[in-house]
Amino acid sequence: MEQKLRREAKALLEQGQVDYIVGFEPGSLKFTTTPLITRDKEEVDRLVINPFIVNNLANFLTELKGRVGIIAKGCDSRSIVSLIQDNKVAREDVVILGIPCPGIIDLSKVEELIGKDRDELEAISREGDKVVITADGKTSEFSITEVLFDNCLGCELPTPQEYDILLGEPTLPVTDRSASQAKIEQLKGMPPQPRWEFWSNELSRCIRCYACRNVCPACFCQRCFVEETEPQWLMPVPRWQDNLMFQVIRNIHVAGRCTDCGECERACPVNIPLRSLTKEMYDIVGELFHFKAGMDKDTAPLMTHYEQEEAEDFIR
Amino acid sequence: MKQESEWEPRLLGFLCKWCSYAGADLAGTSRKKYPANIRIIKVPCSGRIDPLFILKALRLGFDGVLVSGCHPGECHYQTGNYRARRRIALTKKFLEYMGVEPTRIQASWVSASEGGKFAEVVTEVTNELKEIGPNRLFDEERDIYGTKIAP
Repeated sequence: MEQKLRREAKALLEQGQVDYIVGFEPGSLKFTTTPLITRDKEEVDRLVINPFIVNNLANFLTELKGRVGIIAKGCDSRSIVSLIQDNKVAREDVVILGIPCPGIIDLSKVEELIGKDRDELEAISREGDKVVITADGKTSEFSITEVLFDNCLGCELPTPQEYDILLGEPTLPVTDRSASQAKIEQLKGMPPQPRWEFWSNELSRCIRCYACRNVCPACFCQRCFVEETEPQWLMPVPRWQDNLMFQVIRNIHVAGRCTDCGECERACPVNIPLRSLTKEMYDIVGELFHFKAGMDKDTAPLMTHYEQEEAEDFIR
Repeated sequence: MKQESEWEPRLLGFLCKWCSYAGADLAGTSRKKYPANIRIIKVPCSGRIDPLFILKALRLGFDGVLVSGCHPGECHYQTGNYRARRRIALTKKFLEYMGVEPTRIQASWVSASEGGKFAEVVTEVTNELKEIGPNRLFDEERDIYGTKIAP
């Protein structure tokens, strides 16, 4: 897959079909990857595909001028389609190199399983439904579901629907999504008061670095409401009241664009379970409006259209 | 802070100027009685309501927010109330998930000729808010500028 990717990427650059290639290269730390944005056809040899390609590269599309060849997993492809729906990116300006994604490995889950820091691990490799981890010369096998990210466990579209070149055979969506919903179901089982307290506690850790916003391909406003000063909706001071308002409004803003890629939660430096917010919003959108973000580039964005008859029972 | 016994809910109403606001006017001129717990802000259309307004009202200590617009199909700007409906539905559901009582976020369709309905809606909402008690969500007596919130 990697060889094919490099070949295709090189061809795209050589033929002048794209100005940039956006993909992944090995990161400076073990088992990590970092985004690679390049116009140089020699550099495409650094491109990799492995079970650690976490980032949602669609985020770069709105910033790059010209035609872009972009590597996309299932969720990323949905983010790209969502940007196309919003007219932020023209379909003809992107060449989507689709990767059928079997799920991304969550290193913190691996660390928890093994009880060792990621630097002390020697190798992590995936073999079908198993993951083989080598540490101290010993190998141990685990089921893949134990180490994948929560959002990968509930993936609805592992193989991109919208692509120009598909690298590899399509993978099937997950059938049992209960594991990815565990945290949310647990929260829903709580009465309202403790739930509010849970969120105010979690969000009191927020330092308002806005990493969740900056990493999100759906958050593309030129000027975010949090930076608005006339009127000033939020104080820049990270108090939980402001943090909570920020997260609620951010989630409402990305409703119908969020594809549950889980980048916000991964970007969070203080480990706030942000996906429990975004996924719930994703589900609410599906339940109320039967809308799934980024599935079809020809449908209108969620908040710009309406049905005559829908969600009225709460109105007097 | 007032004593609990004499506590009265404070309801913020965002009323569309083409229908509900006129409806509220009609309720007044036709001497309908409704609780004085509602404070009204006139907006050009219910579609003007940003979820941010609702949240900010709760943040400032209002016990409930009522968004009132024209009946479906009667919007002065054709589609404003349909858009409002989507936004409020999302906001209400999402805040409910976060732990806000859904009663605090209310919406109604009231036309300019429905003074009676407006009085009814305000009475109902006020009574429901009385049942769930004061808004202590943001746990603040002062607003973000440090000024005491008006009673």
